Amino acid sequence: MTAAAIPSRRERAAARPVPWTRLTWVAWRQHRAALAGAAALLGAIGAYLAYTGWEVHRAYDAYTACVPASMRVTGGPRACVPAVRAFYSFYGSGQGSVLKSGLNAQTVPFLLLAVPVLLGAFAGGPALARELESGTFRFAWTQGAGRVRLAAARLVPLAVVLAAAAYGLSALFSWYIGPFVQAGVTGKYPMQLFGTMGTDFAAWTLFSFAVAAFAGVLLRRAVPAMAASIVVLTALDVVTMMALRQHYAAPVVVTGTEPAGIGNLVVGNWFTTTSGVPVSQATVLSAFARLPFGVTPSTAMLAEHHWLQWWSYQPASRWWQFQLTEGGWLLAASLLLIAATILLIRRRPA
Amino acid sequence: MDVIEAVGLGKRYGRKKWGLQDCTLSVPAGRVTGLVGPNGSGKTTLLSLAVGMIRATAGTVLVAGETAGSLAARDLTAFVAQDAPLYQNLPVRDMLRVARNLNVRWDHDRAVSRLDGLGIPLKQRVGALSGGQKAQLALTIALARRPELLVLDEPLAALDPLARADFMKSVREAVAEDQISAVFSTHVVAELEQVADYLIVLGRGAVLLSGTTAELTAAHGGQSPEQVILSALRENAAHAQGQAQEVAR
Repeated sequence: MTAAAIPSRRERAAARPVPWTRLTWVAWRQHRAALAGAAALLGAIGAYLAYTGWEVHRAYDAYTACVPASMRVTGGPRACVPAVRAFYSFYGSGQGSVLKSGLNAQTVPFLLLAVPVLLGAFAGGPALARELESGTFRFAWTQGAGRVRLAAARLVPLAVVLAAAAYGLSALFSWYIGPFVQAGVTGKYPMQLFGTMGTDFAAWTLFSFAVAAFAGVLLRRAVPAMAASIVVLTALDVVTMMALRQHYAAPVVVTGTEPAGIGNLVVGNWFTTTSGVPVSQATVLSAFARLPFGVTPSTAMLAEHHWLQWWSYQPASRWWQFQLTEGGWLLAASLLLIAATILLIRRRPA
Repeated sequence: MDVIEAVGLGKRYGRKKWGLQDCTLSVPAGRVTGLVGPNGSGKTTLLSLAVGMIRATAGTVLVAGETAGSLAARDLTAFVAQDAPLYQNLPVRDMLRVARNLNVRWDHDRAVSRLDGLGIPLKQRVGALSGGQKAQLALTIALARRPELLVLDEPLAALDPLARADFMKSVREAVAEDQISAVFSTHVVAELEQVADYLIVLGRGAVLLSGTTAELTAAHGGQSPEQVILSALRENAAHAQGQAQEVAR
């Protein structure tokens, strides 16, 4: 045995980084089972939407063929009642309660809101945590590729694939719900379908994945990371829907009756005197105590007292602007979280 | 020429706990070096620093002349962690493919023929291999990387005596054949001279003894390396106890 075992630095070929394509193959080999699971979930939902959507489109065609466009608001000829009923039955209206009729165009979007959260948690939670909890990180991180490249090659393709698949599903949903949008049931830009159409569904899927992957490295355990991210994301989702989304732009303020138009998002309403002094809601309502519960006083009734009712709302026409705003912050937050996750891997004492 | 050179190396976990403190040592090239010490003596910390798994709090460590943890050093160092962690759910064939795709330097034919020689089927799931086979697979993957330095953390701990002998024989053969260096940590002192030709005895981060087995024997009046190591460790433990008592007073 001799000291010649180590070539000098000069005779040694310079080390090259491992190509990304090879690392992506490793990620694919290790996550193909998880991806198959995600594909099965999305495939089942997609198959339901495709089949039901086809039925909805057929019913809509029968409805529009029977009822002339000018009569669609009022109902149409008596002979068309079965066709009208058949179409609206897919919306879950006209046949008892929404809950009673089960899956329909009103309940499906709400159920779909769970998909980004679940998809992100189940794919992102184990993405790196599995390696940490099983100890194989001691193998993976000491290979020529290095842990930073390895983590990036695992997270980025998964994130892209999931977001793309989610976008595909939401496009399918948009097609499924299309007849109801055209029929004027939901409005052209339905705020109630904000999370399942446009880019929002894909953006939430990406964000969920990033949150779960980050939690995985933080907690170093896959299952707790999945559970924690489901809780956190559900809370964030609800907060965004109830309290955050309405502040993406300064609302339009009008006085008079409630702003008409399906899909408008009413943010608030209040009363003032004609000279602009605020009047409390309680004062107004007690003045009209004879009004049935829940009925707002008419403009004429308010005029008697020299009161005005004001509304602030987000017009439905801002739908795409809001999609971009929400998609933007979700994308930025996702990129930050993925970067933070990789940084954590880089710094983590093993 | 040294394959590992550590100078003033220190690693602190958390605020106070030092895994290794002010450690200066050299691991010679072209040999199988045994890093011996009781639990908590800093063996694993030292090896983890050398393979770039963790970063030093103080001091430096060079591997084959490169900064530990750098791309160049990673490329030249193959590490077999304790219990040989590999992907249990993969077949051996895919485990090899994964390793191949994680490294630029890779000798696939060598890995396949080595496994063939050991009678480890490529179709078998890693999780279904015996402990000895799993260790051999991890070694095969490490050697297929054509490293200049092979680092093994407690390779003997999980193996039965027969598998131990086979495993260390493989390591010695590979070191001779490829003209590389190997360093392994162990707290098993018995039969060390059969598996290592150079020994470094570590006690709480400090090098208590180092040298070839022949040198150690010669310097200590013909005692076996085992006896030399044990007496050094005893002395160190007694010294530590004395210090602790002094502090307590």
